[in-house]
Amino acid sequence: MESLYQVLRDCSWFAKLPDGLLFWISVLVPIGLIVAVYPAIFAYTTLIERKALGRIQNRIGPNRVGRWGILQPLADGAKLLTKEDIVPRAADRFVHGLAPVIAVIPSLLLFAVVPVGARLVPVDLNIGILFVFAISTGSVLALFMGGWASRNKFSLLGAMRAVAQVVSYEVPMVLAAVVVVMAAGSLSTVAIAEAQGGGILNISNWYVFRPWGFVGFVLFLIGAMAESARTPFDIPEAESEIIAGYHTEYSGFKFALFQLGEYLAAIAMAGITATMFLGGYNGPGSDLKYIGPVVGVFWFFAKLMSLIFVIIWIRGTWPRIRVDQLMGFAWKVLLPMSVVNIFAAAVYHFLNPKPLAWVVTAVGLLVAWVILSKVGAPNAIEKRVYRYAS
Amino acid sequence: MWECPSGHDRVTCRARKGAPTVAETMTYAFLILSVITLLGALLAVLLRNLVHCVLSLILFFLGVAGHYFLLRADFLAAVQILIYIGAVAVLILFAIMLTRNVTGTEGPREVFGMKWWSGGVIAAALAAGVLRAVINDPVSQAGSSAQANSSVAEIGKALVGHWVVPFEAMAVLLTAALIGAVVIALEEVMRRR
Repeated sequence: MESLYQVLRDCSWFAKLPDGLLFWISVLVPIGLIVAVYPAIFAYTTLIERKALGRIQNRIGPNRVGRWGILQPLADGAKLLTKEDIVPRAADRFVHGLAPVIAVIPSLLLFAVVPVGARLVPVDLNIGILFVFAISTGSVLALFMGGWASRNKFSLLGAMRAVAQVVSYEVPMVLAAVVVVMAAGSLSTVAIAEAQGGGILNISNWYVFRPWGFVGFVLFLIGAMAESARTPFDIPEAESEIIAGYHTEYSGFKFALFQLGEYLAAIAMAGITATMFLGGYNGPGSDLKYIGPVVGVFWFFAKLMSLIFVIIWIRGTWPRIRVDQLMGFAWKVLLPMSVVNIFAAAVYHFLNPKPLAWVVTAVGLLVAWVILSKVGAPNAIEKRVYRYAS
Repeated sequence: MWECPSGHDRVTCRARKGAPTVAETMTYAFLILSVITLLGALLAVLLRNLVHCVLSLILFFLGVAGHYFLLRADFLAAVQILIYIGAVAVLILFAIMLTRNVTGTEGPREVFGMKWWSGGVIAAALAAGVLRAVINDPVSQAGSSAQANSSVAEIGKALVGHWVVPFEAMAVLLTAALIGAVVIALEEVMRRR
């Protein structure tokens, strides 16, 4: 927004307008773009998800509403908008109505710090990554409020499991992000994206190609999937277990808002992952003189959609994790791995020459992973004991 | 940025005729934030339904974070949201779920019980003490022109430089709390087996 204001002031045609109007234009244009672009991505993500899941499950997804189901999101939106809004009689009406709103607001706020291209970020906060984590804890509240206000035992159970899961997976996620902050030397997302520029074809400096970056990428992606309650971590809304968890008692537009919040959180986290580990808008041709920023935007959205596709792919192929396995996995496997990753990143930073550092940290992380999978994982993921069956 | 032709500094200059100065805008922002914060705090003690009380407490935490942003301590504001709203409020919500009188329909009906004036006297005494301590503090007497140098890098350097002993003591305390939580949970698991 600030750079847009400067650009408008320098351009002779716009400089004739009063200063306050320029300010409001430079604020409203990014907000309008975010509100227009990202919910559109959400709408077509739901379609891509249904088609992709359909192909994985050996069937075609929706193909009735328009060619290849292109208009399906519009049909879904219209259906949800016109459904009757049922609120249980014993429910707490105020909190019941507030929960979907609080589910959407943090997810939208997250897009403010995602750099879409070079110097194309809505707000350049110098605490960008910390802002991301602070805001994503707001969506925890929405889960809890939704489950509590419905006065439904299944909803409450879903809410408690959801809050426990989200809070547990935040810790390895934050520690995986610390590695990137250490390497880039700044919490600002713009600085992190810029630090991954240069190198061969603008690719070789991406943090995912360092050993600690690769481990961090995997950890962060797992944490991001758990934060937005996607399978294999979809205990909060496990359809076959607790009906629909915390959004059982929601219908119509409030349900649509919950879905919007959840998918937008997943998309925003995919965007943050792309910025932190996959180099953001950097790619071949993104440092050219005039079309560089446009190429950068293309690369960013390519990475974003690839990550969204990977998340959908994982949803279609892996089974759901049991809730005690889930907690054990977070605290006994992911958390030690993320701490070891921080050590590895520090070792990489101070060891020269770099190829030696690469090999040393890769070997160290492999050893740590082998030890953890032999020691931590069997303790975390206990075999089920059937008391009456044997 | 804006260069004032009459040589004012950034805080007291008007960007154009009729526009508010930075100082006036900060005052309006401070007033609005204070109203939100105080409203959250008052509702947190006056509402009858405990979950509504916690939600207004969360509004209060957001207001405090806003005040930190106004004081240009953005790291502290983000950490306030992350810790207080993300952890402390969730903990309070979990604790409330285990009590019975959440909906406020059982128990004493009045919020202003019999001895409400004693609470008011204690609150007034505490407020007077805190106000006196704050007003006589040299940092507040320096006035609003003092610039805080609170970037994240500076905080980090201070934590491992000047304040390293309290930092390590906090780490020991947190480790002890973590081990205590695991021990309590372990007893439950042992007892169940």
